[in-house]
Amino acid sequence: MHIPDGFVSVPVAAATSVVSVAALGVALGRSKDAFGVRRAPILGLTTAFIFAAQMINFPVAGGTSGHLLGGALAAIVLGSPWAGALCIATVLIIQAVLFADGGITALGANIFNLAFIGVWVGWSLTQTLHRLMGGSKSRLPLASGIAAAISVVVAAICAALQLAISGTANLGVILPAMAGVHILIGVGEGLITGGVLAYLVKARPDLLPGNDEEQIRSWVVPVVSILLIAGLLSLFASAWPDGLEKVAEDTGFIDLAEQIRISIPTPFADYTFNENEGIGTSMAGILGSIVCFGVAWGIAQVVKPKNA
Amino acid sequence: MRKFSLTLRLQLSLIIVIGAAFLKLNAWYWLCGYGIIALCWAVSLRVPIRKLTGLLGLELIFLSFLALPLGWERASFLLVRSLVCLLTMNSFLLTLPPHSFGIALKGLPLPRALKETLLLAGQYLEILLGEVTQMQRSAKLRGLNGVAGWVRYANASMIGALYLRSLDRAERVYAAMIARGYNGMLPVDSTLRIKERFAVVAMGILAISLTVASYQLALS
Repeated sequence: MHIPDGFVSVPVAAATSVVSVAALGVALGRSKDAFGVRRAPILGLTTAFIFAAQMINFPVAGGTSGHLLGGALAAIVLGSPWAGALCIATVLIIQAVLFADGGITALGANIFNLAFIGVWVGWSLTQTLHRLMGGSKSRLPLASGIAAAISVVVAAICAALQLAISGTANLGVILPAMAGVHILIGVGEGLITGGVLAYLVKARPDLLPGNDEEQIRSWVVPVVSILLIAGLLSLFASAWPDGLEKVAEDTGFIDLAEQIRISIPTPFADYTFNENEGIGTSMAGILGSIVCFGVAWGIAQVVKPKNA
Repeated sequence: MRKFSLTLRLQLSLIIVIGAAFLKLNAWYWLCGYGIIALCWAVSLRVPIRKLTGLLGLELIFLSFLALPLGWERASFLLVRSLVCLLTMNSFLLTLPPHSFGIALKGLPLPRALKETLLLAGQYLEILLGEVTQMQRSAKLRGLNGVAGWVRYANASMIGALYLRSLDRAERVYAAMIARGYNGMLPVDSTLRIKERFAVVAMGILAISLTVASYQLALS
């Protein structure tokens, strides 16, 4: 998923570079704990390990191959998404500068997609799923495997959006294509991440973050759960009409609703975006959740007592 | 080859690569300029030709899979530009004395923590490859001969075992580095001399001129 030179436009490259440099600065500050006698070898070795693992492509369907991205794995082994992001960003810098794997002009976009989106989605989902599964270490491989698979798909969707904004490809074409291929690659990512962690849980459980170490803040679990429901489970929603619509169809007044829709267009009609079913439904669900949260938060700010 | 310090070599290589990467698409004349600079760089470093061509061929085959679907015109420019970048960086890497990447890295204007991660990743890659070789040998001794046998043997647990074995060695190496005076950076002086600084500035100006000129030509 490394975007090469020439795929992203100058504004997209510049914007993603600015965001990535800022985030990298924060990551360097937040992962100071990773640079000590105890943790520095783990950070260095994990970086080297993921670099080596990314060189090994495994075949997926349709004559395509994929490789481990390792964002979720790095974050879990290092016990911090900031250190994980730093690890993946270092791998991407080495690959772009020394091996021309991923463009130098697209380095910002690649770091944004893989080192920040990939790592943070993988880490947040792992924490959420792990907690929902009971929180024991034996469940960590399963939670991280699922999270790693989803993180690959989310990173691919980000890359597709950047390519569409750059004018390289049409959104309607690139989005389903990228998501489709990366679902298969995500399965491989999930299996490898889960398998490696299953081994580490058995052989060196002290390496993995324990119950007393960095815990995810209380707000992350509900937020990620909402995004999971709105973004992922919404894809499996039934396309059949609801009770009222069914009655309206049967009794012949459904056309009235259609006439109103034509005269008052809405941006996410029928929970789709840009006439894109599937991914469009997810995007509409996530945007809707964010808007609902924003409105509710705004109301709460207005009505709460001044001294609260 | 001796006349260039490691820090200077890395900085000049990076200037050429970054300058070429930012060239305007289809600015062939300016790319030729970078190509000549890269060739001169490879000759002056006396890079082993056979190793270099083998490495370039392998990397270009991989890159062509990515670039060719974009159409011949665009792909050919991207591939030639990648060839220039790879020629420059491979010339640097292939003439680098063993375990000296950290010395070259020290002179780069990057955050210390990032340089430490890059340095350790480079050091530990050798450890990782060493462990892979040992595990391959062990697999062969157990009767898993050939690539097919090795692939059958490789699974997620195996990758986990590789990680742990490498980590044990990496921790020992790190403890030894600390004992020898390592404190996040190698204890060597990697500041550029005045002549070297002049060379870096001159190359920087040349690279900026070539890259900016490629855009001005496109505008006019």
